[in-house]
Amino acid sequence: MNAINLKINKEHYDVLVKPHWSLAYVIREKVGLTGTKTGCEMGTCGSCTLLLDGKPVFSCLRMAIDAQGCDIRTIEGVEEENNGELHPLQEAFVQDHGMQCGFCTPGMIIAAKHLLEHNPDPTEQEVREAIGGHLCRCGTYIRIVRSILNAAAVMRAGS
Amino acid sequence: MTTETSVIGKSLPMLDAYEKVTGKLKYAGDMPAHHRMHYAKVLRSPYAHARVVSIDTSAAEALPGVSAVITHQDDITGKQKTCGTPWVDPSFNFRGPMISEEVCFVGDEVAAVSAVDEDVAREALKLIEVEYEELPAVFDLEEAMRADAPQVRPWGPNTLPPSLFEWGDIEQGFAEADMILENRVTMGNQQHAPLDRNACIASWEGDRLSVWTSTQALFWMRDALTDFFDLSPSKVRVYSTPTGGSFGLWWGNNFMFLAAALARKSKRPVRLVLTRDEVQTTVKRRERPLIDVKIGLTKDGRMTAQSFRHILDNGAYGNKFDPYQSVADIYTTEHGRVEFIGVATNLVTAGCMRGVGDLTLAYAIEQTVDMAAEKLDMDPVEFHLMNHWKTGDICHTSQEVVFAKLLFNKNPQVELTSSGLAECITRGADAIDWSNKWKGWGKPSSVEGHKVRGIGMGISTHISGLAFFGFNGITVKVNPDGTMALTTGIGRMGQAGDTTQAMVCAEVMGVELEDINVIDGDSEVCGHTMVTFGSNGMHMVARATKAAAEHAREQLLEYAAKHLEANAADLDIKDRRVFVKGSEERGVTLKELMSTPIYEYLAPPEVIGSASKGVEFEKAGKMMMADFAEVEIDTRTAQMKLLKFVAVHDSGTIVNPAVCENQVAGGYYQSMGFSTTEHLVFDDETGAILNPNFMDYKLMGPLDMPDPEIMFEEVYDEHGPFGAKGIGEGVTCAVPIAISNAVYNAIGARIDPPITPDKILQALKPKT
Repeated sequence: MNAINLKINKEHYDVLVKPHWSLAYVIREKVGLTGTKTGCEMGTCGSCTLLLDGKPVFSCLRMAIDAQGCDIRTIEGVEEENNGELHPLQEAFVQDHGMQCGFCTPGMIIAAKHLLEHNPDPTEQEVREAIGGHLCRCGTYIRIVRSILNAAAVMRAGS
Repeated sequence: MTTETSVIGKSLPMLDAYEKVTGKLKYAGDMPAHHRMHYAKVLRSPYAHARVVSIDTSAAEALPGVSAVITHQDDITGKQKTCGTPWVDPSFNFRGPMISEEVCFVGDEVAAVSAVDEDVAREALKLIEVEYEELPAVFDLEEAMRADAPQVRPWGPNTLPPSLFEWGDIEQGFAEADMILENRVTMGNQQHAPLDRNACIASWEGDRLSVWTSTQALFWMRDALTDFFDLSPSKVRVYSTPTGGSFGLWWGNNFMFLAAALARKSKRPVRLVLTRDEVQTTVKRRERPLIDVKIGLTKDGRMTAQSFRHILDNGAYGNKFDPYQSVADIYTTEHGRVEFIGVATNLVTAGCMRGVGDLTLAYAIEQTVDMAAEKLDMDPVEFHLMNHWKTGDICHTSQEVVFAKLLFNKNPQVELTSSGLAECITRGADAIDWSNKWKGWGKPSSVEGHKVRGIGMGISTHISGLAFFGFNGITVKVNPDGTMALTTGIGRMGQAGDTTQAMVCAEVMGVELEDINVIDGDSEVCGHTMVTFGSNGMHMVARATKAAAEHAREQLLEYAAKHLEANAADLDIKDRRVFVKGSEERGVTLKELMSTPIYEYLAPPEVIGSASKGVEFEKAGKMMMADFAEVEIDTRTAQMKLLKFVAVHDSGTIVNPAVCENQVAGGYYQSMGFSTTEHLVFDDETGAILNPNFMDYKLMGPLDMPDPEIMFEEVYDEHGPFGAKGIGEGVTCAVPIAISNAVYNAIGARIDPPITPDKILQALKPKT
């Protein structure tokens, strides 16, 4: 076991990890933040996406032991970052039914958040590309894309 | 008949949407660890069929951190094959012993271990020594049906006794025909592939067992646990958490029983979470059909007789023998014969997946109908409008007819309550511009260089629940502030079942959706509710929800009558306020009513409405759909691209349009997968699945296909609550038909799902 410190959503967690444990596994099982989902554990579904130093990554493909010192942001931190209120993306997903079972939703929102931070006025194609590595088995893509575009419009109007 | 509504018909957000967008919703794999909890792993058979000659677990048991190992020697055996119907075994995956000495597919359970963590449990599996005696296995349906075929599983024959339906005089029907067409169809193996992985926690306190798992079959799960562990239902409590998609995968499984057995043996809570590989290969898959179709037609295109033989692949432990859950009574003929035969093979168990029965049989019927219409040189739209199923027609092949016969030796007729098929067909044809794009059979709608386009259509139907799924016991409790708690056993699988049930309740009670708190999925708290499958939620379960709300409303009005010194019959509720009809200023808010003492009792009222209702089966509401597709095929690369897709659905009144659109879109995406890329590949030699992950089993992504155009034909169904029928499963059924028929018209070749480039390439080769 190796003692490391993970900085997740601005809070610090001391955890003991084995070298082969993925970041997704440690965040879920050892830190207890289960908003980050693990569907495939091999980088093919996008459910475990979080922001690592500002970039969206599949946390099932990252080793926890390498994440010490990184700024990790998960779905649990999104509301807090937005002054305790739902982020416009979250609000849009709620209002526009951008989900069915909701399992892919945290990953989708994290990917979309990164997109809108860098491209506040994306085209539909750019939205689809930003979530291109994410699966929604319920097939909700129409409304996921709509939610992201609507959130972008709200955010542009607000800034 | 329609009624004015204030909640029904609105795209209100799902009740658990907030939890979903914040990551707070707990699926089974997210449940917090219990004190002293251990983690389980399963040792699985590498052989498709074998006997465990010896198994040595001593080294595994001696590994520090291991708390229990179970094998077939623990002898935990299910006793009850059925739950009071001839069809429903408690686990719906009946295998007698929880772990059998005889393993029947690659991935079958051989042993399970619980340990301090998953690493130790995995290590322990490696220390278990098993000696197998390989037994002959059979994978092919027709081979498995032969008298000299190896017996797939230790009990029963491979081929179950067929279910046969006959009406009219089939010989006469074919004699009346000017043309008879015969066709044989088989398709690929689809897997449910929800992103969430099957998981559970089991825990014992003395002889009381609690299980937390994502299941859509709360009460069957409880009954199966009572059966395996010889417990009274009062000793078993099942909590069903939401599922991260199910599509039929989260019921009738074996893995949660292993966790319960390990928890009993280790005297600790035990958690088992399946890996993606295990989800894909050891739980369940869609059944693979082999269907023979024969239809007779007159020269003017009227169908005179239809005959089908539907062989359903059960895999190792499935037990389908009947129209399952329903099959497409798409066309009305005076004469017919339909035979269903369930056949076991040494492949992973095949069971329900979204649209089961109809998806495969409707495909076979519709392809044959397409072939027939071509021979008659008749436009398929015209053919469908002439022959399709209509309101009041008989459901000849209803599963309920089989059970009425088996249980009561009766031969009832089941009548279709409503059909909007004609409107669905007409509207869909308009939307895809059929009249301009249809150029005749096997003829592309347009050609541009090496790119050819074709259009196709298909129709289907699907059940809106089945009565024998059982009674629904629902309660509505009104709180002192006028909000309400609705208890229901309906499962949460992403279909927003809790939300739409609450909408029915809110509509009746004159309140807003947000006033309803749904308490679901606790077998101790909730009344028996139908297993959440077969699209029964809105058409069947909601009848009891509506009745329970009406019962609560009656009580509210009685108390309000005292409060307002009026007659209850003169009162109505709207916007959370009871008032006297005609003089609306005389009223009382629900909050005031529920928190103000009544003189006679010196206390405010307590209101609990309840209803427990079965569903009469002789009037069946079925959903109807017509799908249209335009595809483009590149004749150089054999790549197919879908250009446009139109789905028109009659699900009666649409209770929540956004939810229903998502359902139709989801059915389209999944069935496009079934039609093109989703296919479990079995190794011919070993029966092992070669593509157990999302890298090799390709699901449709956000860039893979166009958005469908979705329309609803809201035919009011007199038997459904507020005129509603079901929606969740039928959404898949007509998709592959439309795609495959469009491919035919583009390139003149009939290709069955999965329609892959290699098959298209083969079809494009010049015939020699």
